[in-house]
Amino acid sequence: MKHIFSILLWLGMATWAYSQEKRTISGYIKDASNGESLIGVSVYVREIGNGTVTNDYGYYALNLPTGVSYTLVFNYIGYEKVEKKVTLTDDLKLSIELKDESVKLQEVIVKTTKEDENVKNIEMSVNKVEMKTIRQMPALLGEVDLVRSIQLLPGVTSVGEGASGFNVRGGNIDQNLVLLDEAPVFNASHLFGFFSVFNPDAVKDVKLVKGGIPAQYGGRISSILDVRLKEGNAKKREINGGIGTIFSRLSYEQPFAKSKGSFIVAGRRSYIDVLAKPFLNGDLKNSRFYFYDLTAKANYRIDDKNTVFASGYFGRDVFGADFGFEWGNRTATVRWNHVFNNKLFMNATAFYSDYDYGLESDRNNKNKSGDKFKWNSSITTWSMKPDFTYYLTPNNTVTFGGQYINYSTKPGTATAISSGEERNISLDPRYADESALYIGNDQKVTDWLSFQYGIRYSYFRNLGPGTAYEFLEVVKGDRKLPVSEKKYESGVINTYGNWEPRFSTKIELNPSTSIKASYNRTAQYLHLLSNTAASSPLDVWTLSSKIIKPQLADQVALGWFQNFQENMYEASLEVYYKKLQNQIDYVANSDLLLNSYLEGDLLFGNGRAYGAEVYVKKNRGKLTGWLSYTLARTERKIEGINNDNWFPARFDKTHNLSTVVLYQLNDRLSFSANFAFNTGTPATFPTNRFEWGGWTLPQNVDNSRNAARIPSYHRLDLGATLKSKKKLFGKGQGEWVLSIYNVYNRRNPFSMYVRQNEDNNLKTEAVRYAVIGSVVPAITYNFKF
Amino acid sequence: MKKNTLHTFLTYTTLAFLTVSTLTSCEDVVDLDVKSGAPQLVVDGWVTNQQTSQTIRLTESAGYFDNSQAKPVLNATVTVTDDKGGVFSFVDLKKDGNYVWKPVAVSDTIGRVGRTYTLRIKMGTEEYTAVSKLNRVPKIDSVTYFFDKLPIAPADDAPQEGYTAEFFARDPTGAGDCYWIKSYKNGKYFNKTTEITIAYDAAFSPGANSDGLRFILPIRRAISPEFYKEKDTVKVELYSIPLEGYYFLNQVRTESSNQGLFATAPSNIYSNVKNTNPTGRKALGFFGAAAVSTFTEVIDAKKAKPKDGN
Repeated sequence: MKHIFSILLWLGMATWAYSQEKRTISGYIKDASNGESLIGVSVYVREIGNGTVTNDYGYYALNLPTGVSYTLVFNYIGYEKVEKKVTLTDDLKLSIELKDESVKLQEVIVKTTKEDENVKNIEMSVNKVEMKTIRQMPALLGEVDLVRSIQLLPGVTSVGEGASGFNVRGGNIDQNLVLLDEAPVFNASHLFGFFSVFNPDAVKDVKLVKGGIPAQYGGRISSILDVRLKEGNAKKREINGGIGTIFSRLSYEQPFAKSKGSFIVAGRRSYIDVLAKPFLNGDLKNSRFYFYDLTAKANYRIDDKNTVFASGYFGRDVFGADFGFEWGNRTATVRWNHVFNNKLFMNATAFYSDYDYGLESDRNNKNKSGDKFKWNSSITTWSMKPDFTYYLTPNNTVTFGGQYINYSTKPGTATAISSGEERNISLDPRYADESALYIGNDQKVTDWLSFQYGIRYSYFRNLGPGTAYEFLEVVKGDRKLPVSEKKYESGVINTYGNWEPRFSTKIELNPSTSIKASYNRTAQYLHLLSNTAASSPLDVWTLSSKIIKPQLADQVALGWFQNFQENMYEASLEVYYKKLQNQIDYVANSDLLLNSYLEGDLLFGNGRAYGAEVYVKKNRGKLTGWLSYTLARTERKIEGINNDNWFPARFDKTHNLSTVVLYQLNDRLSFSANFAFNTGTPATFPTNRFEWGGWTLPQNVDNSRNAARIPSYHRLDLGATLKSKKKLFGKGQGEWVLSIYNVYNRRNPFSMYVRQNEDNNLKTEAVRYAVIGSVVPAITYNFKF
Repeated sequence: MKKNTLHTFLTYTTLAFLTVSTLTSCEDVVDLDVKSGAPQLVVDGWVTNQQTSQTIRLTESAGYFDNSQAKPVLNATVTVTDDKGGVFSFVDLKKDGNYVWKPVAVSDTIGRVGRTYTLRIKMGTEEYTAVSKLNRVPKIDSVTYFFDKLPIAPADDAPQEGYTAEFFARDPTGAGDCYWIKSYKNGKYFNKTTEITIAYDAAFSPGANSDGLRFILPIRRAISPEFYKEKDTVKVELYSIPLEGYYFLNQVRTESSNQGLFATAPSNIYSNVKNTNPTGRKALGFFGAAAVSTFTEVIDAKKAKPKDGN
């Protein structure tokens, strides 16, 4: 470790030592309309043919020789370009506000900017989708949904429609670090996966990192979905709202303290239960079925050097009548941005995040001698995380920092009462912590060559009190039997440590073409155990232990990045290969809930994923959108499954094509369309049948897994947005959004399975199951003041 | 406990789904082309402590979509021995694969609690064996019922209102007792795989810590997959089954209705029948020993309990 740090520092210092006297230009870049800081804005210095981009807080810094005049060009997709001429004599603060370009959309703007993120930025395997775009895309039931939109990007699949989560480059859904203002969200779904928990009215920026993961990120091995909330309009009060088929929404933003601060509060709630109430009688009278979420954020700029942010999320799904089931996430984040000096920027984050669910039977039974069942499960984390950016030279930006995460999980706290006798059937809580240190450097070697390299060391400890079990394998692939257990009252039960090297490079062949390559290793100590096709809210996040080793991934990626027609079009072709270790699978009949000997039901093995991704995006003009195509293979090799041979994962899709087209007809009317085509997901079918107990049961003589496939999936969605002509109450704006999901009414299969006929046990049949089996039209009304 | 809880929760969710959205999930029976494999021996039989004849059925497995009755295995030699020297021969009287042992005297039974039974099947050069221990079973104390009505009519033509029956029995102290609860309405066995009810101690699974309790409510009421009417006969059979039998039936239920968003990866159903030649052709099915308690009750409106009367 020491060596690597000194090499990193040395590389940086070497360039520094030879430099002349320098001063720094730094500042924040914001949206002129609402004061939101802008992430990833290109800041280009024409005279030196080089530049930087703003960080996650809209901050940039450039260290340049003094006594020279510079032209700074600020450029960001969807915003007007700004040029500033400066003569550098001393440190300079230069904060800029960029104007939204769509205001003058009617003019066809042809830009002659040389710089472009797709080609110039060292980032690869990263997809950003503007919220503006997500809003315009046709959505299921008219509900703008971030996770559904993510699934139209290259390299992203899911087990099927309606399933929660998403799979990135062959990773399971628990291998995505889903961050909401830096706090991890453990279950990003409402209604079992149909909608994600992110309120589109409160989200500013979404970034999906699939590869070339920088050293500051860790904890999950496949991807980072970094969702940043709006800071709230810093210029004026703003109210947004809408009524859709599922949710009604309202958000409120306002500046305070003379625009030194601002906040946003946004809420959503499903409302069908309110409408249905008068029609429910009998046992259904006490029915509860609703879900809601509340998102809030505030920021306050103390002075030029200090800004603080606080944000939080609270959401819940509640179902049932006499039998109740509910679940939800809570997150809270506090951040402090501090500029130590012109070169050193710090963001310190503290967050809290939890997820819990509860089931309860016989809720209406108040009789003490009666029968009842109550069950809760939860995971709670808190973390401290300082991150530093050191703008060493224009060519070297060093990032370093660390993180401490504390976990406590209650896998199951349950009581059962049978005829008045109560039993506690709870599992022991589990405790652990994870620490990490990292350092990295972004180095521009020449105009055309850049490196980003770094290393992260993560260290995990299982903490007492707790019990460590040992198991004996009787038959390979079958349940392992517990043979011993050791109780720990306190102290450290078990530890793991992993070095996680990260490396990326960019070679610019010409101003519109670059080649990028990356390698990263990632480690994961927290696993979502789920033996079902789609993950259910009951699945339990489980910590690594002596038995459950940390999941590791090594990924290499290589890409060609090309822009056409003055950056009107950007395109990329990437290939990747990923190797996964310590992947988890399950014995037949595995029992993952309320089972002390759960670890005996787990199987372990390796995974591999490889593929090619093509992405073509049109950035400007009346017609915008993208086309994405992925050719991929995702496989697992688990001891005891598929005769120990490689088999395709449940979400493996050979071909995955998506297109998104947005067309702005005029100021008021726009249209949109999505089309998706996927190869059918793998399935296991029986070869034979046998009769037992009067039933006809399936059997696969080859004992194979996922050897067949269900039919392919394809779907077209259309949408239209019409802005109202009249101002709403004199000042506001209203719009109608029409969306049609699954336009040609295809019954796309989620799965295929076999069964015996309901009326005749001797007859066996195959069944195709579609989650959404028809066209789904919807209309939404949105307003803004 | 959780299997049923899960089931209930899925039912409610489905209800929520239907109401919440216009989403229409659907199932269509379709053609599927699968390659079939070589047939294997299938063993289906129990020996019990009941004073009746006992049957062990031997058949062959067939291609999955071969929609005909399974082919019987004929000319096998079938014997069951116990660990106290008892030997019982099973004979295929009708040449239909049903190998039967008949009691000579009325009081004759094979099964005795605590004994271990070994099944031996000789077919030509191959020999198969299966071992099962006959465990204790508690008696059923009573069957009660109350009048109930569903808020919405059930999808199949099942009645919307009627009597829900429940049986009362207590799991004996000592963890690890497994049961199979079979129920009959007017002599008709509830034979759907979704109606399989098994218990581990007094609840659904080993993690439930339910040793020594009265069977929990969802198990007690599992004998009413649909409503009973006045004068209907309710019959309950409580089988004590070995742990392997519990896992076998659990898997039968899972694999025969493994569908929807929360389906698990299909896997082959466990069998306790072994070929004495480890490299020989494997067998399918299950042979078990069980003690059985039964209880029969005729529904009489006057004796019905109030709902939630506990």
